[in-house]
Amino acid sequence: MPNLHLHRDVDRATLTFDREGSSANLFDSATLDELDRLLDELEAHPPADGLLIVSAKPSIFIAGADVKALANASPDELDEMIRLGQTVFDRIARLRVPTVAAIHGACAGGGFELALACDWRVASRDRATKIGLPEVQLGILPAWGGSTRLPRLLGLPKALDVILGAKLHAAESARRKGLVDAVVPQETLVAQAWQFAARGKRPQVFRPLLHSPPLRALIAGRARKAMLEKTRGNYPAPPKALHVVCSAAGSPVQAGFALERRAILELAPMAETKNLIRLFFLGEKAKKHQPVAAEAKPVGQVAVIGSGVMGSGIAHWLALRGHPVLLQDIDDAALARGMRAIESLLQQAVARHVVTRNEAMHALDRITAVREKVPLDRCDLVIEAAVENLAIKRNVFADLAARVRPDCLLATNTSALPVHELADVVPNPGRLFGLHFFNPVHRMPLVEVVRAERTSDPTVASAFALVRSLGKTPVLVKDRLGFLVNRILLPYLVEAGLMFQNGAVPKEIDDAMLDFGMPMGPLRLIDEVGLDVALHVAKTLAAAFPDRMTVPAVLEAMVAKQLLGKKTGAGFYTYQGRQPVPNPDAMALRPGHDSVPDGLPGRLADKMSEEAALCLEEGIAATGDDIDLAMILGTGYPPFRGGPLHHRNHPIPP
Amino acid sequence: MNLWILAGVRTPFLRAGTQFAPLHATDLGRHAVAALLARTGIDPAELDEVILGCVGQPADAANVARVIALRAGVPQHVPAATVQRNCASGLEAITTAAERLAAGRGELFLVGGVESMSHAPLLFSDTAAKHFDKLGRAKTPLQKLAALARFRPRDFAPRVGLKLGLTDPFSGLMMGSTAETLAREFCISRDAQDLFAADSHRKALAADDARAREIATVHTGGEAVTADNGPRADSTPDKLAKLRPIFEPAWGTVTAGNSSQVSDGAVALLVGSEAAARRLGLTPLGRLTHYHYSGCDPARMGLGPVSAIAGAIARGAPSPVEADVVELNEAFAAQVLAVLKALRDPKAAALAGLTRAPGEISPEKLNRRGGAIALGHPVGATGSRLVLTALDQLHETGGTRALVTLCIGGGQGAALWLERP
Repeated sequence: MPNLHLHRDVDRATLTFDREGSSANLFDSATLDELDRLLDELEAHPPADGLLIVSAKPSIFIAGADVKALANASPDELDEMIRLGQTVFDRIARLRVPTVAAIHGACAGGGFELALACDWRVASRDRATKIGLPEVQLGILPAWGGSTRLPRLLGLPKALDVILGAKLHAAESARRKGLVDAVVPQETLVAQAWQFAARGKRPQVFRPLLHSPPLRALIAGRARKAMLEKTRGNYPAPPKALHVVCSAAGSPVQAGFALERRAILELAPMAETKNLIRLFFLGEKAKKHQPVAAEAKPVGQVAVIGSGVMGSGIAHWLALRGHPVLLQDIDDAALARGMRAIESLLQQAVARHVVTRNEAMHALDRITAVREKVPLDRCDLVIEAAVENLAIKRNVFADLAARVRPDCLLATNTSALPVHELADVVPNPGRLFGLHFFNPVHRMPLVEVVRAERTSDPTVASAFALVRSLGKTPVLVKDRLGFLVNRILLPYLVEAGLMFQNGAVPKEIDDAMLDFGMPMGPLRLIDEVGLDVALHVAKTLAAAFPDRMTVPAVLEAMVAKQLLGKKTGAGFYTYQGRQPVPNPDAMALRPGHDSVPDGLPGRLADKMSEEAALCLEEGIAATGDDIDLAMILGTGYPPFRGGPLHHRNHPIPP
Repeated sequence: MNLWILAGVRTPFLRAGTQFAPLHATDLGRHAVAALLARTGIDPAELDEVILGCVGQPADAANVARVIALRAGVPQHVPAATVQRNCASGLEAITTAAERLAAGRGELFLVGGVESMSHAPLLFSDTAAKHFDKLGRAKTPLQKLAALARFRPRDFAPRVGLKLGLTDPFSGLMMGSTAETLAREFCISRDAQDLFAADSHRKALAADDARAREIATVHTGGEAVTADNGPRADSTPDKLAKLRPIFEPAWGTVTAGNSSQVSDGAVALLVGSEAAARRLGLTPLGRLTHYHYSGCDPARMGLGPVSAIAGAIARGAPSPVEADVVELNEAFAAQVLAVLKALRDPKAAALAGLTRAPGEISPEKLNRRGGAIALGHPVGATGSRLVLTALDQLHETGGTRALVTLCIGGGQGAALWLERP
């Protein structure tokens, strides 16, 4: 099957990627072979004006290598595939005529390595255009010449940032980083690409000083330190990639290729890599999976009730994604604080070049803060984020139901209260569901869609479509206490509290879990959430599962003493200085003394795995994959371990 | 006339340089328009046009009404126009809508006014502009140096936009000086002016709750701005008597205390035909029955209301005596008192160029919630505020007819009559 088309127009040649029967262009062995054969012809009759590489797909240039083929390849097959890719791309790099990649749409991994083999790269100024080398996220490294060519193009420090960062960049940010030479409107992409071809072959840049052995060693050392702070040595790919990029910068190209090849062959069979690749597929599946066969209703204007941390966080995210939002609260001061929080989130996003000043202004303009009870009949969805009190929520929903259209979707952002207990105050409860965002909303990629007994299929479908349009991953969960993520997290947090009560030092517990791979230790996490909130949830769960959970008395004592965590400046830690310090007042409240708990971190991690297994048994989520993905996206459960259920069966020793 | 006022809301009016100082006219306008859309719940796609008054349009938002409409979520197919009749721009927006409606050019309009006097510009003099232009065109370093050398220190003295705006270019008089002229010619004493000003503050403070009905809270800078900040409990006649006259320091009577305050604010009103009201299910607040704009001597612009009221009567409007509520804009206490005198006193009327006095306005009907001396005069917004407050007062008192009238910089007057259904 031809996936590539070579078109010649006098002295110009255009190579078009158009994978048959697919919306994406991918590199597999067959495509590489095809490209290899076309190169025979290009080498024999070089097009004097140059070669342009384009894609015929509307939103994808080349999405990269076929990850499935990579994952399933035997070591020999993998070695073969890597050699083939390197050879073919190198033939492009060695063409005597100028070569230009005209990039519109996703250009990732192997796709960008192909672009790197060209002389020039021109990208379209379009939202669909995303450029980068995400290999390290999959536990591997760019091995089709990318790790060798990028430091030659950008210089070592910038190349390390891009390869270890493993992010996809928007066109303009890719240009700032030097990944592309120009960003132009899509309509002029091809014409502009030919302008670059007219410049001839790209002159080579030599960096004798920057890439001298002592400077390379210095750069590598600093990068390694920063990397270890982030990964705590849990991920094998970043150090390998770092070593390859640093060495390749000072070696001949072919030696660089050999380093790349050896590294990827070592990485591919490792458990961490397999887990990361599985996670990639789980994520891809979650982007498309439809849990119900109903049609989704479009959602335009949304009302958010309550402008606290969650309410304003949700309003901010909705507005940034184009939804007009009515942000309602009974308290003007709370509204003002919420609006201020939204303004500063937008300012931060502007400062980080994530959104433009103009986009930030439009987002803020889309939010109307109101204390008055205004008509809600233009809203397609109401998200309630008021205080976690069932009586108050019932009042809110009874009032909402009277003010909205009969078909308006009604969601609660409760994290612990049962959704079905709101159903009887709402006429037509099929439209009622839970929409559980995690804090901070703009950073947490998971949203639990809670299906109560009477929630209808169209409601679930609409919720899934909305969550996806917001750029987040939905997971469908049953309306049981704590839903999925909090339910699994709580026994772990409570166990950490018990360890503390029995005399463990907070830092010891937290460090152990950081080493395990969690993004934050359990006691620090309780401090962030607030001890009062955590205690409330823990008590509710303990009441429901008395045989499995007891709430440590020390938590009650701390709450009584107003040691509520970060918000009051002191919890398990005190938060005066730059670094949190274990709080002596809290330590004095516990009966036990400075014993080192046994079995860290396994004892704590097992709590999550056990609860996850129970959740699967009870059908809180549909599959174990859902649970693993939800825990990774919702709590930062170490991705390389594959999730609490995967960890139970395939543990990687800490 | 068939124009109905269906709903209205405004931002608080704040003294220039206070909490609204960081907000531009477009921000203030957006707040008012968004609040109106939220409160009425109407679909902005049904609007036929957005018409807003603004005196000093921001340099970065020419046709400020269009920018405000788009930012407030009015869809792009709805056109927008900014109107300018100086201090009556906020009225001009309403009467423009009435004329559009009469001409069959639409049924439903979002109108109002906006002004951010905090953002009145500082301007370079013409000579400085010329020098900057030369500098911009200079190519070689030598030319640049030569261009730089042409600058003189006086080039960097800015011209204060606000002061220019408050000066009548035809007579060359500051607005305050026109008020001084009226004080002299109509024998308005300093004491009478200060007493009137103190009364404006007293009435405003007593009407805090009533004014709250006109206002939509603005949440900005982490704080909820819920109320006007102009009215002061300490603006007593004694205190006001201590202020120095600003326009004529030697012998004058017009002070900052008995003049309107320089303010920021925005007003939005939904107006349209009776059929539009019925379609939207809104209960109209009132109907526009008559209006008239008149011209007068620019050097005595404060008398504008007298000829405008007389002109309205000539077109079938009632006598001011018949109004249950009167909103007469307080540009200056001297000017208001001169107008009141001309309306009731034949001699004063003659001085204002009328053959007879149009009719007296009794003090208990006048500016019951305070006027611009207490609340501020964000010039482009004021006309709309007067209509909003007059209608709310009709509903509060059970009255039927309201008269809204303003003097207009440049020598004009406006008078507009409203009726409660």
